Amino acid sequence: MKQMKQEIQNRVTLYALISRLMLVEVDELFLEQLESDEVLLSFLPNYRDWDKRKTVKRETLMTAYYNVDFTNLFLMHLVPYESFYTREDQMIESGGENPVIALYNDLDFRVELDRARVVSADHIGVELEFMYMLCLAMQKALEAEDREGVCELLAVQHAFLKEHLLQWAPMFLINAKRESRTPLYHDGAELTLDFLLSDYEYLTDTLAQHCSAVA
Amino acid sequence: MTKSMKNSNNFIESRRSFLKGSAYSLAGATLATGVFQTIADTPAHATHQFTSTPKSLSFYPPLKSWDSFTQLDGNDWKRGGTGRNGIKSEKNPDGIEATEYMLVPTACSNCEASCGLTAWVDLSTYKAGGGLAVRKYMGNPLHAGSRGRNCAKGYASQSQMYDPDRIPFPLMRASGSKRGEGKWVRTTWDEAMSTIGKKMHDTLKSGDEISRKSIMYHVGRPNENGFGHRVPHSMGCDGYDSHTNICSAGAREGTIQWANDDRNSPDWSNAKLIFLQSSHAADAGHYFQQAAGRIAEARKKGAKLVVMDPRLSNSAGMADLWVPCWPGTETALYLYLANRILNEKDSNGNDLVNHAFVKNWVNWDRLMADKKYLALLVEKGYIKSVPREDSYEAFIEMIAQMYSPYTLEFVAQECRIEKRIVEKLYDLFIDAGASVATYIWRAGSIGHKGGWMIARSAFLPFVLRGAMAGDKGGIGLHHWHVISVNGKGNAATEHGTKPPKVDVWNEIAWPPEYPLSTYEMSHIMPHLLLDDEWRAKWNAKGLNVPKKLAVWIPRMYNPVWINPDGFRWIEALKREDKIELSFNLSPTWSETNWYCDFILPVGLAGERHDQHSEATQPSRWLSFRNPALRVALEKMGWTPKDPTRATLEAHIKAGLGEVWEEVEFWANIMVHHVDPDGSLGVRKHWASKEDPRRAVTIAEWYQAAFDTLPNLKKEAKKCYPDAKYPNYEMMRDRGTWLEEDNIYKPQERPLHKEGSRYIAHGHHYEADEVEQDAFGTLLVDDPVHGGKKAIGIEIDGEIMEGFHTLSKKLEFYSEWFAQWKWPEYAIPIYPTTPEGRKQMTHIVTQVHHDFMQKDNEFALNTVFRLPYNIHTRSVNSKHLMEISQNHNPVWINTQDAKRLGIKRGEAIKVTITDTVSGLDSGYFIAMAVPTEGTMPGVLACSHHAGRWKLKNAVEIPGFEQKLGVMGLGAPLYEMTMDGKVGTLKPTQGLNEGMQERRESWQFKAFNKDLDNIWWDGLSGSWQNAVAPSHPDPIAGNHAWHQKVVIEKAQKGDKIGDIYVNYENNMKVYKAWRDQLTRPLDTTDRLRRPVHMKRPAVPLSAKAYAVKLTK
Repeated sequence: MKQMKQEIQNRVTLYALISRLMLVEVDELFLEQLESDEVLLSFLPNYRDWDKRKTVKRETLMTAYYNVDFTNLFLMHLVPYESFYTREDQMIESGGENPVIALYNDLDFRVELDRARVVSADHIGVELEFMYMLCLAMQKALEAEDREGVCELLAVQHAFLKEHLLQWAPMFLINAKRESRTPLYHDGAELTLDFLLSDYEYLTDTLAQHCSAVA
Repeated sequence: MTKSMKNSNNFIESRRSFLKGSAYSLAGATLATGVFQTIADTPAHATHQFTSTPKSLSFYPPLKSWDSFTQLDGNDWKRGGTGRNGIKSEKNPDGIEATEYMLVPTACSNCEASCGLTAWVDLSTYKAGGGLAVRKYMGNPLHAGSRGRNCAKGYASQSQMYDPDRIPFPLMRASGSKRGEGKWVRTTWDEAMSTIGKKMHDTLKSGDEISRKSIMYHVGRPNENGFGHRVPHSMGCDGYDSHTNICSAGAREGTIQWANDDRNSPDWSNAKLIFLQSSHAADAGHYFQQAAGRIAEARKKGAKLVVMDPRLSNSAGMADLWVPCWPGTETALYLYLANRILNEKDSNGNDLVNHAFVKNWVNWDRLMADKKYLALLVEKGYIKSVPREDSYEAFIEMIAQMYSPYTLEFVAQECRIEKRIVEKLYDLFIDAGASVATYIWRAGSIGHKGGWMIARSAFLPFVLRGAMAGDKGGIGLHHWHVISVNGKGNAATEHGTKPPKVDVWNEIAWPPEYPLSTYEMSHIMPHLLLDDEWRAKWNAKGLNVPKKLAVWIPRMYNPVWINPDGFRWIEALKREDKIELSFNLSPTWSETNWYCDFILPVGLAGERHDQHSEATQPSRWLSFRNPALRVALEKMGWTPKDPTRATLEAHIKAGLGEVWEEVEFWANIMVHHVDPDGSLGVRKHWASKEDPRRAVTIAEWYQAAFDTLPNLKKEAKKCYPDAKYPNYEMMRDRGTWLEEDNIYKPQERPLHKEGSRYIAHGHHYEADEVEQDAFGTLLVDDPVHGGKKAIGIEIDGEIMEGFHTLSKKLEFYSEWFAQWKWPEYAIPIYPTTPEGRKQMTHIVTQVHHDFMQKDNEFALNTVFRLPYNIHTRSVNSKHLMEISQNHNPVWINTQDAKRLGIKRGEAIKVTITDTVSGLDSGYFIAMAVPTEGTMPGVLACSHHAGRWKLKNAVEIPGFEQKLGVMGLGAPLYEMTMDGKVGTLKPTQGLNEGMQERRESWQFKAFNKDLDNIWWDGLSGSWQNAVAPSHPDPIAGNHAWHQKVVIEKAQKGDKIGDIYVNYENNMKVYKAWRDQLTRPLDTTDRLRRPVHMKRPAVPLSAKAYAVKLTK
């Protein structure tokens, strides 16, 4: 349990980081925070070592590089929505037929689409933030030493990764990595994919190790 | 894990450990975006009928719920729907608002496409004691043409309906004021009908020939099928002017020569190649939204899209091939395609000509038999010698030789297109076989002298490939796919049948210089009225040309602004000796209204009745326009005091204003004012059969009109077995009908025969009355005009209906056209040398590059629409006005701009100069935008922008508030005119104008957002006024494009300024008339070929007859 507490802290941070990166354009504060954490920065090696990051003003980097890349990857060129990848007709399902939204609703989560500025709640950034929310909930359960709750949340996370994110996000992320024009989004896509795969293994192992009795 | 992931070993290998090691210093909460509400604290909900969201985007209330459908308020969707907050009630004040609506079907009345709409009438507010209003317009999913979809203009019907400057009641020019002074008083419909009706009565009473030419009904975009025609027809008047001669008359001329049909009708959905000439069809115009949807469908199935246009339109931008062709030279390109089709083989060595179709369905046999005409072709140098044989093979050989000069070299030079593009076009054309769809209508054919020949030649390659067979994926014809019954309510009238043919010929609409013009010469109406010399000349030759109009009635028309030579229009309209009384049936303010005696406000899309149908696909559908507020009131139990005026009464009751509709207006004015005692023979055509004391009602009229459609009638009887007017009621409730679907190759239908009698167009002919000519055509006596008329054709031993032409085939050779003084153009042809272009000037554009000699001389391309505006009636829709702002600069190619030192956003002076007379017309000042989107040498500026007004608002005696004038669509201008020179100068943008008269805004609840106006409307110029009338010598249409000279604007010039020498413009018009036409002469016995339909008013043989003296 103690180890899990340490791990959940990092999982919360990583899900927060990657969901933020995929959901809206970066801003001063986000970049400041990212660069203040050496460990996180180490997950983005090309970005960390990128010359322009040091020689070009941050404002210029944002307007002339990062935001352009973001727009290309998340708004114009690629389609970062699960239903696009999973539906036969490749249509984005923004209504009640979307199983992801149904899942959120079942668990009493509500996505504020106007705040997220996405057309549907199965956007990669929203799904990642959902994982972040589940991790936060699990963190509370760990603090309360609610073993049953922890296991339930681990199972939900495991199922969500298996049935949703991993069904499509790898394809999107591989495309995003290829299409990216800045080290930030290149490394961000790679980091996200690596982490999702790793986290799935982690959840599988942890469930087997700690929750077989509960299950 | 997906297959692709398994193969991405680099990802697997690079797996890092994220959770081991030291903790990150950052807390997740500082990074996360936070788009989730934390575990929702949802109140318990009462059971309700709503889902929090429809199950699919295609959800639409089913027809059975249209009379009462409750919907959640749009603003509340963002809060999460009822799932989170429940329905609003006294106990749950934070719940979602739910509104009960009645969905009344109607049809858009902005462009010509007639897409289906539903008007959502708010019953909740009304039942709670508030007003009755339409909250929104949506698509009508039952509509076979539009299939529930609309463009911006459809949804904007609501902002047009609740226009802050809507004309709320009939207005009359103040006594003692002059036309154009802008002094108005309120009048009533009854007072207006009384004054106007008396004038019409007094005019008709004399009964002489002139009286039948003195009332002119001048219709803008009709958006209905045939009712307007009946207005002058029922009075025995040749008095209908359409707007068609500034619109589409050129294309129609070319189509009439091939098929004696008004226009073609493509099967977009099933085509392999979509070939667009101009941005029309897919960007804007006929029939934009429906065509675009079907084109998209075809492309989804793999069809290619080619757009030929000097301008990179939206369609061209997304096409597989953009073909920027020098405007007016398109004919050369079409004949190049013909040349290659005739002279080359496919990869298997087979002919590219579809011989099976051409041999059976083209009138080559008549051409080959006409040796005299063939000799003329030799004389003209089109062919080397008269073929020895009359065979089909000899014909193909002859035209293969005739079109061989239209080579790649020639076309590249003539059309100024890169060779690779021309070749690519050819490849795409051939690859598609007979499945090529096109709609030959705008740009080329209405832009140029000889524009009609562009349409004429355009069809040639399509004919040769078999695409004109009217088959799946190809091209059909208009009359196969359209329903026209709006004027056919005769059975509901006292008279019971249609009015008799009219016995007079009105030279003001059909002057003798233009016997073959496809439509009325309406764009030169003021020129003709003001030209005493012209009138005297023809009267001396034995005609009886009217010197004035007693009553001129524009209907939703704004010729002052949209026609060329606007100052000439103003001159004519101001002359009370030339136009004694005028009134505009107009839903909006307009430049033309300003110069009329009455403005009578009539309804928009959801405020009127019309039957409207268009040939948008191979089927026959119709729209039925409904006045939504009236229908809603009647369904809730309201009854009008006078059933013949129900629409007017309903609009007054609902608070829309004294807004009426034409069907009820015309029936009432005819019965009670024009011919109250029936002595003129007019009344009986409008009085009710049920009760001849009153006018016919809407239900009576449409019951009778729709009775002429067998399938509609059958369904109505089935669905409304107990109704008195089942046809009307079904159409009121559905708003649309599909009479016949999948209409392909109707020319191949066997000619109907019962026993020994043939049946054609509703007439029966005994077999022994029918004779067959040497070419297989079945002929009968023409009882109206004498001579013979064709009713069918024998093809391969079968008697078929055939095409609508004299020969019953498509006419490569237009025999009648040759006889009517234009033999050299009776086949598709185009000059190939500078000398030839001079000799054949009638079919060479006035903006040919031959005329562009200096660096700053350009062709100005004016004929394209902005997709979100529609000429006149969209002027004050805030939504459409907002999105169209600054969208109409002068496009200039970047290289041209660089050469002339013109930068983006700079004002330039554009001087219009005529290449027939050599005269300058004046200039307009406009904003230049250098772009690669127009070809070098060609400027583009749509003539659909640049509205103006002379007063911001008008005071109406007795009313506290002023009435605003076009506050959202037209800036304020200052005008001068002295009979020779006219000027216009902008003085105030519309934002400022609107804010200074906030108290005048009507429908305030619908116009709370007017504070958000950010546009000043000062980006356009009234270029139409500078443009002189260019009547095409044959088709009669105004040739819109202009040769212009540009320079940078001088100090003091403002965008929007115009300066017009309209004295010169009159000379330009006369030069086109006198130098180019071949008028009627002493040898003529007819005003026009009798088979060439005179649209609108049917005329007798007496009217057609003419005998001129020297």
